[in-house]
Amino acid sequence: MLVDDLNREREMIISGHNACPGCGAALAVRYLTRALGPNLAIVLTASCWSIIAGAPPLTALKCPILHCPFPSAGSVGSGLKRGLEAKGKGDTTVVVLAGDGGTFDIGLQALSGAAQRNEDIIFVCYDNEAYMNTGMQTSSATPFGARTNTAPYPLFKEGRKKDIMQIMAAHGIPYAATATVAFPDDMEAKLKKAQSITGFRFIHVLSPCPPGWGSESADTVHLSRLAVQTGFFPLYEIHNGVDWKMTWMTDKSRLPLSAYLDRQRRFKQMDKEKIVALQEELDDEWYFLMNKVGPADRC
Amino acid sequence: MLSGVEKIKAPYFCGASPISVNKTGEWRLLTPTRRESLSPCSSDCLLEGEIPLWLEAVKRESWPEAWQIMSRNNPFPALTGHVCYQSCTANCNRGRLDEEVDIREVEKAIGYWRLDNYEPGGKAVTSKGKVAVAGSGPAGLSCAYYLAVNGYAVTVFEKSAVIGGMAALGIPEYRLPRTVLQRELAILEDMGIDFVTACEVGKDVEVARLYSEYDHLFLATGAWLSRRAGIKGEEAEGVWYALDFLSLVNRGGDPESGGTVVVIGGGNAAIDSARTALRQPGVDHVSLVYRRSRAEMPAEPSEVEAAEDEGVELIFNALPREIITKNGAAVGIGFDYCRTGLEGLIVDRNRSFEKSCSTVIMALGQDPDYSIFGQLKETRPLYAGGDLVSGPATVPEAIRAGRLAAFSLLADLEGTPLPDFGARPLKKVSFEDLNLAAKVNLQLQQKQTLPFEEAARCLGCGSCNSCGVCYLFCPDLAVDRSNGSYEFNLDYCKGCGICAEECPARALVMEGGV
Amino acid sequence: MMAFEVINGSQAAAIAVQRAGIDLVAAYPITPQTVIVETLADFAAKGELGGEFVSLESEYSALSFCNGASAAGARVFTATASHGLAYMHEMIHWCSGARFPIVMANVNRAIGAPWCLDPDQGDSLSQRDTGWLQIYCSGAQEVFDTILQAFALSEELLLPCMVVFDGFYISHTYEAVDIPEIQDVGKFIGPPSFGAQVIPGEPGNLHGMASAENQQRLVRSRHEAMLRAPALYEEINGRYERLFGRKYGAIDAVMPPGARTAILTAGATAETVRWCLPDLEQTGLIQLRMFRPFPAKQLCAVLETYDIEKVLVVDRNCSIGAGGIFAQELKSALYGLARPPAVHDLILAGGVDLTGALIKNALSKMPLENRSTELWGVE
Repeated sequence: MLVDDLNREREMIISGHNACPGCGAALAVRYLTRALGPNLAIVLTASCWSIIAGAPPLTALKCPILHCPFPSAGSVGSGLKRGLEAKGKGDTTVVVLAGDGGTFDIGLQALSGAAQRNEDIIFVCYDNEAYMNTGMQTSSATPFGARTNTAPYPLFKEGRKKDIMQIMAAHGIPYAATATVAFPDDMEAKLKKAQSITGFRFIHVLSPCPPGWGSESADTVHLSRLAVQTGFFPLYEIHNGVDWKMTWMTDKSRLPLSAYLDRQRRFKQMDKEKIVALQEELDDEWYFLMNKVGPADRC
Repeated sequence: MLSGVEKIKAPYFCGASPISVNKTGEWRLLTPTRRESLSPCSSDCLLEGEIPLWLEAVKRESWPEAWQIMSRNNPFPALTGHVCYQSCTANCNRGRLDEEVDIREVEKAIGYWRLDNYEPGGKAVTSKGKVAVAGSGPAGLSCAYYLAVNGYAVTVFEKSAVIGGMAALGIPEYRLPRTVLQRELAILEDMGIDFVTACEVGKDVEVARLYSEYDHLFLATGAWLSRRAGIKGEEAEGVWYALDFLSLVNRGGDPESGGTVVVIGGGNAAIDSARTALRQPGVDHVSLVYRRSRAEMPAEPSEVEAAEDEGVELIFNALPREIITKNGAAVGIGFDYCRTGLEGLIVDRNRSFEKSCSTVIMALGQDPDYSIFGQLKETRPLYAGGDLVSGPATVPEAIRAGRLAAFSLLADLEGTPLPDFGARPLKKVSFEDLNLAAKVNLQLQQKQTLPFEEAARCLGCGSCNSCGVCYLFCPDLAVDRSNGSYEFNLDYCKGCGICAEECPARALVMEGGV
Repeated sequence: MMAFEVINGSQAAAIAVQRAGIDLVAAYPITPQTVIVETLADFAAKGELGGEFVSLESEYSALSFCNGASAAGARVFTATASHGLAYMHEMIHWCSGARFPIVMANVNRAIGAPWCLDPDQGDSLSQRDTGWLQIYCSGAQEVFDTILQAFALSEELLLPCMVVFDGFYISHTYEAVDIPEIQDVGKFIGPPSFGAQVIPGEPGNLHGMASAENQQRLVRSRHEAMLRAPALYEEINGRYERLFGRKYGAIDAVMPPGARTAILTAGATAETVRWCLPDLEQTGLIQLRMFRPFPAKQLCAVLETYDIEKVLVVDRNCSIGAGGIFAQELKSALYGLARPPAVHDLILAGGVDLTGALIKNALSKMPLENRSTELWGVE
């Protein structure tokens, strides 16, 4: 249990960072670095964390951060890992940290390339479901029905959220998992498992964004939990692209989606039809997931 | 020689100094603040103990702190850890999940820690005044303790040769090992409290004299008058009153109660007597006869069960009519059928039976001896407490009475307003109030043998129990942990409120303003 | 020990990379660069590369990969051409800003639309403001030598270096190249010692957000580092000459006695001019090797020393709306000169071949009274 080990010495994040109050991404990176540190190097693509990390000479993490341009994360990470290996520092864990834009959209090519080459890196996507650093514009990770600044009312995000986990599974990488900040133990366990595996590993972290989602900053963990409980963001892992396993008990009766949507202003103007459509989309995905996960692994 | 990169490492090129120079706490609009609510255990505790707080201290194995919190309400946790009937666990929210926290065991552990770690020679300052206490039972001892630690010289007058009152003479050894009381008393003596034994206030020493020689007086002489049944044969040989029987045994005497023993009564003293009788040499059968039904018994159900488990025969709905004697000694009891009616007991004399026995123990209740009040000529406020005021009650209630008396006396002596003993947080935390979603502290699903592990099962219910959820979920690492407990670092707290939202015990609120 | 081998420019580049003790090669194929990466892949296949050969999924990723590896202190190389170089553009800027001493070969090829495979220099010249050193080569031997020197130059200045040569005319054309043994190359360039930026266990916020003021400080520091290049290059060539008997300058001039006209060009066209010089009257060659930094001082010195009246610039490129780029840069270098020569520009944009006839024709159209003429290779 993470909370049983509240050793501050393990923390790699430094107070005073530039994240907004209640930032899910700050929390995600806090868990990430304490789980994988201290022999850790982070490749950081353009995202909220480019700001959160602070302006040099200041830094918000106790490990090296190598900033890189938006589409390049997967390749810079690959290069850094192989460079470290060439210099006899192959035992360092290289983590690529990208937002949903740097993963689902502009970073997808480099991500796919690195996954296909099975580079020995951990790619962590902290997904706040839009371009939040630039001020809440639609990405392909934005859920159907949400309002963004490039889809203002009466517009809304059309089309489904891209299923990045299926994409990653299709690469047949050794390990892929979903995680979110309300379940730090689950997240730490997955990160540690990922660290113990060689090859390309992908962790998809849902990280609520109070200003972008229009949620209370105090609700970050609560929303993250509701996302799991409603089946909006199920927690599971995939070994070698084929072995799917639920890691968090989602009861047969998932909570109604409204419990999750009602706490976020981005869904405020969603009419009933769209909510039904989103629920149907989630039901489809749930059905798909349950078919992927064997009866024994539905937990 | 410097490498190229080292040469180029101007501060603006790539940095490595901690961002903590940014005091992001300046962004804060709301501040997390501890606001404690009342836990069910605390609410139900006869001593008003701050149970979640001392459980939390034990969880951190911070024993001095646990004792410090404990002693605010209860200076004798080793004593109560043995004899308290634990009303605290009745509504324990943990019970809704798995098993109630065994609060009394942890309390006992704190008590033993105190006994083992008391440093002798730590005499309290006794220069502020002198107070006499009449009666050395739990109420008198508790009052003496709080007066002593607050700087008063205390003399305790005890009519018996033994100090401890009901705790020494009324409670059987199997419920309270004598050594525990002896060790508590040794500490009190070391603290400078004087004990005068075999000196009954009102008889061996006049109340008026105490009033003249002491600044004040506290009466806690207990309830020692045994009620009579008023039936034929009550004076026969082999007929005991419960307190006489128990105190003789507790003093090491032999009541010579062989053969068959019948206890009459349904209270705790009856159970104590029955279980004590069972332990006497030569006794081969003990019956307990109560005039009403089992459900109506005033005794603690757990004690009744324990008695039954030990082999005490329980007989209900039987009212003693007479004690049958032979040569002046009791040989049996005649009973009539009896039950509770709308307007009192209904006795059916046509349904009677006899029970032969060699010893009868009458446990029909006790009354205080109010004669002492007749001697009072003072106009000053009178302080009295314990069984003398409440009638026969429990050790924790007596300890509470002694504490309240001590603080009332202190206020009186020092001319300060009487403390508001009723000032407790109004809101009582229900199971539904708790936020257990983070699933902390939920691992140990059964009672634990180690006190700090058992204490760790406490859900906190309205008090910080150092579960660490605030620390765990802080995106700004603005919760500091020192010595196992948590504090907010307002230099960096941005006031997001996740900690308050997620606090499983609901002990945090966000307050406006920086 | 040296041995001559008959190889093309691409192979020369690849062998130089192999001799340089490379840690990582990141590659993505594009015509006419493919022979370079295939040759390096052959080395890797035979276990002779000495480092790792990695095929990436795009040029952008190839350079990104180099970026990451260089951050670890590794010596890295990539090669590309044309659209590939254009696609790298963002990373080309980034690598320089981050001071990664990456060496890249660019094989000149026209950029579409339409598709065209000929050696227009517009691809590399489009990257002139990115903070990369650029050196243009006129033959396979020069490619070999320059690649080795580029590592030395780049790692000392902590600026990336682009070694440029023409597609097909150099990349696919065979010549005898003198190739030193690997241990001798080791005397010229040892293992990389420029230092890693990412040091595990040591915090560092590498290339995080900077203010405008800090950004200017960094731009200036790059600018000043680059201005050191010509002198440093001379020093490096001095060492190179002592080991291998060859040396190059930021510019290399061939001035026959009495020459008053100079032809200034870069890349394979310089070799064409060199061959034509005996047929031309009072005409010399100035081969522009280093384009970034632009060797303005060296150019002016040569022009003044030989009292050159007219310069014909052969530009296999065109900055649309401004003309040939080398001519533009030369004109700007002449500012303040007491008696600046006339500058005429022969534009061979599209990668048009330079012939003796074209040169003679151009020289005939440069009357003294004209200070500047724009001539096109194709009418």
